[in-house]
Amino acid sequence: MDAEPIVVERSQPGQPHRGKVFAAVHAHLDDLPYYAGGLCAKLIAEGYTGYVIRTSNDEKVGGQTTAQNILSNEQEHVRMAAALGCKDVYDLYYQNHEMNDISALDIRGRLVFLFRSLKVDTVLSFNPWGHAEENPDHWVTGRAAEEAAWMSGMPNDFPEHREAGFQPHPVRERYYFYGRPGQPFNRVVDIGSHLEKKIDAIVECKSQGGGNLGSRLRADLARQGKRLALLGNDDRTADRAYVRQFLLDRYQEYGKEHNLAYAERFYYTDQRRPERSKVDEFVEKNAVSL
Amino acid sequence: MERRGFLGRSIAGGIALGSGPALSQARSADLPAQVTPTAYANRRSGYNPFGTPDYYTYADDLTIERNRPGKPHQGKVLAAVQAHSDDIPLFAGGLVAKLIDEGYTGYLIRISNDESSGTTLGHGVVQNEIDYQEVAKNLGCKNAFSFYYRNHRMDDCAELEIRARLIFLFRVLQVNALVAMDPYNHYDENPDHLVAGRAAEAACWMSGGLRDYPEHYRAGLKQARVREKYYFSRAPQGHNLVNRVVDISSYIDHKVRGNVANKGKGPAGTAGSRMRQELARQGKKLELLGNDDDTANFQYVKHFLMDDWKLLGERFGLGYAEAFRYIGPQPNYQENVRKYADQHAVRL
Repeated sequence: MDAEPIVVERSQPGQPHRGKVFAAVHAHLDDLPYYAGGLCAKLIAEGYTGYVIRTSNDEKVGGQTTAQNILSNEQEHVRMAAALGCKDVYDLYYQNHEMNDISALDIRGRLVFLFRSLKVDTVLSFNPWGHAEENPDHWVTGRAAEEAAWMSGMPNDFPEHREAGFQPHPVRERYYFYGRPGQPFNRVVDIGSHLEKKIDAIVECKSQGGGNLGSRLRADLARQGKRLALLGNDDRTADRAYVRQFLLDRYQEYGKEHNLAYAERFYYTDQRRPERSKVDEFVEKNAVSL
Repeated sequence: MERRGFLGRSIAGGIALGSGPALSQARSADLPAQVTPTAYANRRSGYNPFGTPDYYTYADDLTIERNRPGKPHQGKVLAAVQAHSDDIPLFAGGLVAKLIDEGYTGYLIRISNDESSGTTLGHGVVQNEIDYQEVAKNLGCKNAFSFYYRNHRMDDCAELEIRARLIFLFRVLQVNALVAMDPYNHYDENPDHLVAGRAAEAACWMSGGLRDYPEHYRAGLKQARVREKYYFSRAPQGHNLVNRVVDISSYIDHKVRGNVANKGKGPAGTAGSRMRQELARQGKKLELLGNDDDTANFQYVKHFLMDDWKLLGERFGLGYAEAFRYIGPQPNYQENVRKYADQHAVRL
């Protein structure tokens, strides 16, 4: 079997996606900005309306009590999404690291509802078939998002939604994250023009994701009577500089192969249907008068 | 509304009501004199395998709910949740018809696909799909919904999902009252009933919560306020707590028509016309069944299958009755405390 060609998706001029909606479905605060922050910013710049859906409550990370972790991650999630330019944020709050024991049907049902009510055209999420994924929250989220994407277009799944005016709405395009080494990808997205937004989003991830490592290093050095010029003179500058200098290497690597400064990798599928089917074409060509 | 102290500790042993046999008359001769019965055996006609359950336990604040003049429930919404197409019509058809007649807008929600009846599974599903819509129409419901979970297998469904779907519907429809099967229906051998009852029970209060499925609110839905619940017993072998007996005498024909609509399952449907045809083949007829199939079906249901509810009614001096565990609106605790404070507060 031939290897699938890699498509390089570059910035498109104007707003070719105006009127379209994407939902970025991730499990934890820092998943989206790392795996697809550049893509989100790019799609929004090109006309998409973006929504972020976080499935877990992130209670296990943040260095505080479980309750405080939930709160800090919740607050940072709103700021992270705003930094990317997303219109709104949804949190489903399933228990962090425990998602393989939740009802797959419940999470799927909620995503179907959101995809229909938001009229989502494109979903960004984990690759549910990606190997080496050790975090159950990731593959549970990816699986639910994948199932919900096609079921949201099926009229007999949750037909009661129509009672509230939410019609079946299929999600035709999917960008699955390149989450772990060895996972498949067929699309490399040029995020060079959107790198600053990606950094903006990552620095909001302080409870997890290293968003405040720069300011912490700066403070640590100051206590030792030292400074790093790279980190500048304030915390925000330090955080942004730290992310740029130390945390984005892999995205440089992904870009290098394609002569790009920075890139993100995805497994992309497109289920949009041509306006005219092969049957239409056949009928047009072969139908004769009675 | 009439409230009767019914089995209170001071009147242990029960009291006679109306012209029907008193509860105390059902006392077994084998029951030692010093023992007060805590449950009452229902008299059964023997015509209907799906009639009143074996036992009821009556609460001492039992209420007989009679017809209310006018449209006292105008503007309110009722959801009747059933596992199978024949559950509501058999056990609460009179109540649903009564409440709708008194002003409620009614919706019927069926949880299973009723596949376990019919000549083939496919035929069973299709016939029951037709039936539950017809049942809804005959009871006066505005619309009917179905979730189509597999019949008799609902204990393997995600209860969370069923509950979530009910929460969604309760919010969209702005449901105020629920009629459903009792989630504590002892000795119910059908798992679908218990799952449906539990999911409906939990959905009632959660549909009013701001933190359960908050995405609904952001899509424009509003909290539901399900303030009244009527739970009915479904298991013939059951044992249920009853605190409300509803006089359905004026609505017995609605209930009959609701049951006649159930052709795909249950004891009603076309049983009358089939009996009439069978007798005709033997050169006989039953006056009761009249001269056409529609009359036969109606009369069969009314005279054979409704008899248990007639016997129940007689016990309370009513023509026909249905029995429920009723849960009404909660008191406004904060307002009560405020009233107390207003009445008792003194100047500093």
